[in-house]
Amino acid sequence: MSSLAEMLPALLVAVPILLAAVPIVLGLRFERTGWSVAALTTTALTAATVYLAAAVYETGRVVHVLGGWGETADRPQGVGIELVADEFSVLIALLVTVTAAGVLAYTRVGGPRGNTFYTGYLLLIGGLLGLSLTGDVFNMFVFLEIVGLATYAMIAAGDGPESAVAALKYLILGTMGASLYLIGVGFLFMATGALNMDVLGEAIPLVAEEGGSDLTLLRAAFAFIFIGFALKVAQWPLHTWQPDAYQHAPDGVTPVIAALVSTVSAYALGRIMYNVFGPEFLTATPYLTEIVVTVGCVSVLAGSTLAVIQRDVKRMFAYSSVAQFGLIVAAYGLVTQTAFVGAVIHLIGHGVIKAGLFVAAGVVALGYGARTVDGYAGLAEHRPYTAGSIAILLIALIGIPPSAGFIGKWYVAVGAVEAEVWPVAVVIFLSTMLTLAYSARLLEKMYFTPAIPVESPHSPGPVAADGGTDTGADDHDGATALGRDSFRRGSPDAVSIGMLGILVVIAVAAVLLGFAGGAFFEWLEPFTSEVFTE
Amino acid sequence: MTEVADPRPLAAVLVSALAMCLIIASYRYPNVRESWSVVAALAKFGIILSMLPGVMDGTVYEWSLADSLGVEFLAGIDFVLRADPLGLLFALLASFLWIFTSFYAAGYMRGLDEHAQTRFFASFAASLSTAIGIAFAGNLVTIFIFYELLSLVTYPLVAHNEDNEARIAGRKYLAYTFFGGGVFLLAGTVLVYWLTSSADPAGEAHLAFESGGIGMLAEAAQADPVFAQAAFYLLIAGFGVKAAVMPLHSWLADAMVAPTPVSGLLHAVAVVKSGAFGVARVILDVFGPGLIYDLPLSVPGVGEVGLNIPLAILAAFTLTAASIIALRKDHLKRRLAFSTTAQLSYIVLGLSMLHPLAILGALFHIPAHAFGKLTLFFCAGAVHVETHTDYVSEMAGIGKRMPLTMSAFAIGAAGMAGMPLIAGFVSKFYMLIGSGSVGGGYWLFATALIVSGILNIAYLWPVVYTAFFESEDRHDAKPLLEFPPGGKRESYFEDDAAVATDGGDRSDEKPESGQPQPADERDDETEAKGAGTPETVNDEDEPEYAVDKYPSDHTVPEDAETHDDHAEDHHDHGDHHHGGPPAGGWERHSPFTESTWLMIFPISVIATGAVTLGVIPDYAVFLDLAMYIVEGVFGVDSFNELHDLSLEEAMEVIDR
Amino acid sequence: MIEGTLDVLTTRYAYALMFVLMGIGIYMIIANENLVKKLIGVNLFQTAIFLFFVAVAYVEGGNAPIVPSDGSDPGLMASPLPHVIVLTAIVVGIALTAVGLALIVRIYAEYGTLREDTLREVRADE
Repeated sequence: MSSLAEMLPALLVAVPILLAAVPIVLGLRFERTGWSVAALTTTALTAATVYLAAAVYETGRVVHVLGGWGETADRPQGVGIELVADEFSVLIALLVTVTAAGVLAYTRVGGPRGNTFYTGYLLLIGGLLGLSLTGDVFNMFVFLEIVGLATYAMIAAGDGPESAVAALKYLILGTMGASLYLIGVGFLFMATGALNMDVLGEAIPLVAEEGGSDLTLLRAAFAFIFIGFALKVAQWPLHTWQPDAYQHAPDGVTPVIAALVSTVSAYALGRIMYNVFGPEFLTATPYLTEIVVTVGCVSVLAGSTLAVIQRDVKRMFAYSSVAQFGLIVAAYGLVTQTAFVGAVIHLIGHGVIKAGLFVAAGVVALGYGARTVDGYAGLAEHRPYTAGSIAILLIALIGIPPSAGFIGKWYVAVGAVEAEVWPVAVVIFLSTMLTLAYSARLLEKMYFTPAIPVESPHSPGPVAADGGTDTGADDHDGATALGRDSFRRGSPDAVSIGMLGILVVIAVAAVLLGFAGGAFFEWLEPFTSEVFTE
Repeated sequence: MTEVADPRPLAAVLVSALAMCLIIASYRYPNVRESWSVVAALAKFGIILSMLPGVMDGTVYEWSLADSLGVEFLAGIDFVLRADPLGLLFALLASFLWIFTSFYAAGYMRGLDEHAQTRFFASFAASLSTAIGIAFAGNLVTIFIFYELLSLVTYPLVAHNEDNEARIAGRKYLAYTFFGGGVFLLAGTVLVYWLTSSADPAGEAHLAFESGGIGMLAEAAQADPVFAQAAFYLLIAGFGVKAAVMPLHSWLADAMVAPTPVSGLLHAVAVVKSGAFGVARVILDVFGPGLIYDLPLSVPGVGEVGLNIPLAILAAFTLTAASIIALRKDHLKRRLAFSTTAQLSYIVLGLSMLHPLAILGALFHIPAHAFGKLTLFFCAGAVHVETHTDYVSEMAGIGKRMPLTMSAFAIGAAGMAGMPLIAGFVSKFYMLIGSGSVGGGYWLFATALIVSGILNIAYLWPVVYTAFFESEDRHDAKPLLEFPPGGKRESYFEDDAAVATDGGDRSDEKPESGQPQPADERDDETEAKGAGTPETVNDEDEPEYAVDKYPSDHTVPEDAETHDDHAEDHHDHGDHHHGGPPAGGWERHSPFTESTWLMIFPISVIATGAVTLGVIPDYAVFLDLAMYIVEGVFGVDSFNELHDLSLEEAMEVIDR
Repeated sequence: MIEGTLDVLTTRYAYALMFVLMGIGIYMIIANENLVKKLIGVNLFQTAIFLFFVAVAYVEGGNAPIVPSDGSDPGLMASPLPHVIVLTAIVVGIALTAVGLALIVRIYAEYGTLREDTLREVRADE
């Protein structure tokens, strides 16, 4: 093990946070340095994460103890804060760095611009990496809040005042979530006297075996932590902040938030559930798995249903996220190895797909002037590459093989059947149809609804009846500047090659990941077998 | 049986996927674009044909992702394409028919000057690619992948017209097929995965098809019969959606809004047959007749019945009911669609009777029906392109205008009805013998087969009759179509005049180049008044019109829309009459001038094929292949060993 | 029953107070229409958690970490770890309040109101 690999976890967290100050400092002298700094940093971070992943692949988990407070003969483990890079966390860290670097291709031209934005961006990346790598439950709270702060600020960077309202809503609810998590940590600390995940993981089975009031504390701790994360991951009925936040955030910010923030929170939930509490505690506690699974399943159903009735495309995708994370939470609740692998794969797959979809929403808003589902009519004809990418991503989201969406769903489904939890299995199988319901709506608009309705004599009727909306909706949507030249709407020139390029790359990645089902399983094997054979 | 690693199954799948890319790339040059279709079709057929001798000698060509690239698709599951006899039967059929369909499609699309032709041809090529993928899929997950992709790439073809009717049909199509694939089939596959991996001592899943059934599944089924039965019905339901088994059939008739080559090759051959083929895979290669027979289902009040019986009853019901519905369809393509529903259930019924002869008949019915039905659809399409006539009631005397087309139609119709000397006879013959050999309660299925055969004549013969033996101005009434259910007291000669002037009348009323608005209004008015209250003699045709266009599952607004589109269609294409004969009656054409060679040539080839299969089935390769498959399933060396066995004896053979 | 309650109130009053504070905080967040007061509610909620951690920190017969023990029994001692946690959490809380207030200033500048119901009406009109 090279010493570099051991240093990397700390560097991955510290470097972006420190460099976050650079755009502001440079901004005093130069106008637009933010993007370059961010691009350099994220590229370096990506390279570092790949290196770390290679090290993990070769030698297993890499642990960095901050400040040299590692375990010694007279000092037990858990005094210093640990940063842990194992198969699970490195996978998420890779998703974070790669997505962060990729989305920059959009923001360069698509904005938001300004050095302060990139300060927030780097802060967010640092927080996310910290959240994925940390091995300490209190440290996790700090990173949760760093991520939250950066996210609130970036959402508020939107043009309209709406974004400030959305950000405040998110701030209040997000803080509540993090605070509830902190209470849970407090209970854990009361019960065990430890904060380190490894130490907790060893202590909790002992406490659980002993029973008594400490066990009650543990159960309360789990309840608080779960509800805290349910807020952060936007599970029904605690999802209300998410659609507003996603819709009103600047187009360049949504992909990062949608792909990473909830994803990493969901990762943290998985980490706490499986590394700290452990499968034994989860299955031994009465009603625990049932509740987790119910929350997930209800979110799948409610999220999809709400997505179908949305008019705004970004809002629709936001509700779709509620549903997809419901699938992940339900998979966590199944407590089988296969379902857990499925949840992890779906985390990654959904992150990639949603990043792509939100980048596409930005590209369409910029280059086609459309933000509503109805406004997407005729997109295929006038913007074939964008429409094609959206179509592929939607298909991947539905879970049609070979795609990232399918392999996740496959493992979750197998896990549900293995656990013989039939209601969950039914919901998972039906989730295809639910996702199809809103995806097909957009597909049909893009490909089979002409953009120029005046050509056809009875267009207003069919168009309105079809989408289930009145045509009045179209009026404040540049999309339907009814007229022969309506296909010239938006500003196609504003869409740079980089933006289209990243969109196509993400779409291709979503398909190629569909062939990695076996690879993911093998990669996670050391982690899962350790967790599940304890 | 020897297995050989060979990239040809993959090549057969990819060749049309490559063609799809080339088609999209050359969208500016229609001639180049269509020639890619033809080249790909020939190449595909060539590749598949090259595997035929080897497969007949007992070789199985296999390409697997794990062996060739080292990529594991899912943990414990490989992505495998293998050319075994059953897969080859379907692949050979689909690729052979694609050659002629690609000519025909070019003729059809150009004849109508359709929009979005690049998308059409690209999706068409992609459909063929996935259909061959289904044929060669080596395990349940691989077949699931292609099954889903097939639903996806045929969706643009169904919604091709981009009008409301097409969009609604497209939605229905997506909903049905993804419910079948994404829900039922996936659930069944996962169940089989779970059952086999928990039965296997090493914990490995067995999803690969094995002739005669997956061995590990049989073991698992002994331990967990309920889940095995659930898996069986889930898989059958998944494939049954595309095979249009009632009650999952209603997408098929609606999908007929697609251009005719699509209705022909995809919705009579590739797509729907992929459903029937999937059922064959499940019965023969996943569960195997032996296991299905040994896994009784206890029904309260009846006792234990075989797992296959409910399916057979459903299929028998479908083939009778669909034939009866077809009687009342005036729209020719819809009538053919219900005929397809019925004929597909023949295949399902034959397979689910489990007797070797019935299975042989069912397997041979796959090509037999394909040739016959494709002929019928091609003819319907040719009539549409040349005369814009879609309704049987408007076709009186059309034999003069399109002699060759309607003759081919007659051949196809005879094949559907199972007349000797045409392909359909051979398959139905074997199925009848099969159900007879089983005896017992199976006489019910034999009766259904015969009744449906008669019904086939009843709904297809009138088309031939009206085309050749009636004339535009004088023809019999069609009581089933024109009269309200339960009969009508009036004499029908009065109506007759109205029917005859049908087309001419309407085109007189609205100026050809003007807005179709007046016509629309008129239609809506009539629609609003309802079908039963005709006002004037002129409107006499309206109710009749409305009745025959009311399929049971349609709502009024949709039908209004159909009307409009129908009317508008002809405006768009600059055609100057509205279906039916032109003012002066049908022009007389010789067989060589009735249409373009792009359409006549495929029609004649396919019709000839149907006759060839009927006259010399032993020399046409399909029957041999089907026999070879059955031999493999029952594990015997020669089909003759199976000839005189009862079902019990046959099952003993399989258990040996 | 009453005795038990009294017992909790006299010996565990910090925990009781924590839940009271938390309840007040949540109530303010949910029921108060004024955005600033909502934020104060969030702060109150967090303060309750700080109190909780400080209350947890008293350990009977513990030893100070890091510094080697001299062997004598320190009796009731305060573990420094929860205090450190609370310090960190307070810093985080201040940062959150600052961002929240900044957002509220922006909202006030745009809509001219701090009340959520008015805000909802204004936004609905737009």
